[in-house]
Amino acid sequence: MSVTINVSDDNKLATMKINGRFDFSLHNEFRKAYKDISLGGGQYVVDLSATEYLDSSALGMLLLLKEHAESQGCNVRLTGQGDEIKEILTIASFDKIFTLS
Amino acid sequence: MSQNSDKETVILVVDDDLTNRLVLSALLKESGYKAIIAENGEEAVKIVDENHVDIILLDVMMPVMDGYQAARIIKSRQTHFIPIIFLTAMTDESALAKCIDSGGDDFLTKPFNHTLLNAKIDSMLRIAGLYKSIAEQNIEIKNKNFQVEQEMVVTKKLFEKIINNDLRGDKTGLHYSMSPMSMFNGDLILAEKNQTSGFDVLIADFTGHGLSAAIGALPVSDVFHSMTKKCFSFNDILAEANLKLIELLPTHMFMAASLISVDRSNNVLSVVNAGLPDMYLYRNGEILHTFKSRNIPLGISKLSASQFEVEMQTLEYGDRLIAATDGIMEANNSAGEMFGLERLLKVFEDNVEAEVLFETILSTCSEFREGAEQTDDITLLEVCHLENIEYKTHVAFQNEHREPSDWSIQFSLDIKSLRQFDALPYIMQAVNQLQPLGSGRTSVHTLLAEMFSNALDHGVLKLDSSMKNTPQGFMAFYQEKQKRLESMQEGHIQVSLHHELDGNGGGRFTLHLVDSGEGYDFKNVDTHKNQYSGRGLKLVSSLATDMKVLGKGNSVMAYYDWSNKSSVNKKSLI
Repeated sequence: MSVTINVSDDNKLATMKINGRFDFSLHNEFRKAYKDISLGGGQYVVDLSATEYLDSSALGMLLLLKEHAESQGCNVRLTGQGDEIKEILTIASFDKIFTLS
Repeated sequence: MSQNSDKETVILVVDDDLTNRLVLSALLKESGYKAIIAENGEEAVKIVDENHVDIILLDVMMPVMDGYQAARIIKSRQTHFIPIIFLTAMTDESALAKCIDSGGDDFLTKPFNHTLLNAKIDSMLRIAGLYKSIAEQNIEIKNKNFQVEQEMVVTKKLFEKIINNDLRGDKTGLHYSMSPMSMFNGDLILAEKNQTSGFDVLIADFTGHGLSAAIGALPVSDVFHSMTKKCFSFNDILAEANLKLIELLPTHMFMAASLISVDRSNNVLSVVNAGLPDMYLYRNGEILHTFKSRNIPLGISKLSASQFEVEMQTLEYGDRLIAATDGIMEANNSAGEMFGLERLLKVFEDNVEAEVLFETILSTCSEFREGAEQTDDITLLEVCHLENIEYKTHVAFQNEHREPSDWSIQFSLDIKSLRQFDALPYIMQAVNQLQPLGSGRTSVHTLLAEMFSNALDHGVLKLDSSMKNTPQGFMAFYQEKQKRLESMQEGHIQVSLHHELDGNGGGRFTLHLVDSGEGYDFKNVDTHKNQYSGRGLKLVSSLATDMKVLGKGNSVMAYYDWSNKSSVNKKSLI
């Protein structure tokens, strides 16, 4: 699986991990991963440490996740991004709308 | 047993031996199939041509035409899959291989077993069913593809209409290259002349493709053109386009864009980069400044006009701004490598002549891609700051059929109004409504804009124009302007506009602006002292038929004469 998701026992933290290329081909898989998850407050974390590449449709998918998270009063944190992916996120100023760590 | 209950399965039995034919037909009928018969290959071919047949049981050795040849002919003519099962007494491998070779799908050796025959027929019917559904799917895919192609054509036309503009060319210094694919990828370039006789350019890249991107492009182009014409500020245009896109686009779609404005009266380049790759200001063979993305792409978060970060740089004639969407960086060669930033920067480092910089970037990129499949999604833009700029006349104004008349209009703006909104576009609009300005439109706009900013910046806000002497000072000047606007407690500007017909089909505009400032010693100002500041009034004096500074220097009056036939303003435009 290119997208995995783990929800913590207290149901306050959902961690998604993207392996390989994060592009349009992951559209359905990415959505499916989080769509039935409902956190009681807390945070969605997208782990990009194993992500090789990220394109603009991936940015769009992150916006969809953000919408999903915000409807549950949660925020989204992006983590583990390498330099190239960080560059793409910075160009799109996603550091202003997501928490980056 | 049969594949389709509402249609009888028809099996053609081809054998020159009567007994075999009779036995086989009886067996098939027993199993619920309809059997028809042929005595040799030639007859079989004829029957298949004229009748519906589901499966053929074919003997090999026959007079007139043998089974091999019949199979070849039938297979070569079939429009859908008709399974052929050879019935043969031969058991040597090469003969059986020849059966398959000539187009047979299976074989059965004589004397055959009834159960085995039924099983083979069943299996062949299943395969034929699969073939049929694949064929149906293929037709569906073909239809869908056709639809998509049609949509592409529509999209392309839409985009061409949106993008089509007359500002492009060597005389204006605006160059761009857009490959057809880049339009399908949602790239967009818009340009409109602004009040300083320079132009504003929007370069954008939508996420998504084809029609879905065109949906966003329409309102953006609408907002851009109408607001630029009405002289709304940069930030207002972006804020409005952003709002429109938030309303229209689904969550995952957005528009990365840069808005570029060339202010020809102050020689300043302003750029808001929201999500596009670095843009470069090129002067004397090197990159003078890199405009990085400092804003969130449009269509994502609600932002007020002041939240867009504008970067300004002073311009010298011959300066070039190069901008591109990510297509050029991601252009692939046959080895799968991307063109990338380094190769792009190398073109700059190679010190190519400024005049051919744009072409060199394009040709370097296409050389790099040599042999690679044309992905064709490259959008490249160059804005060159020319000393003399020439527009095609019909871009300069729109003819409005309204009779000119005499009128006067006065606006008084106190500090609160000045703080809360940019009044200029509204005043311009009022003037446009009252008077068909014809070819004088740009001049009147420029006069008003320059006089207004002179009254606001130097009068009400008491900003020192010498701040603008250095490129850094320019940014500081605008930051200070914003700060003072917010904190200033007192001040006002009075704008009086008057229009009078001259009786010869033309008329005279009088523009009179008075501000609450302290004025200045206008008799002793050396307007040639520096390059950047104080240009406002100098431009006014060169553009107006006549101009006077009155009072203590806080009152400026300008006249502009126009004629219906052509612009007979005594002084030439810029």
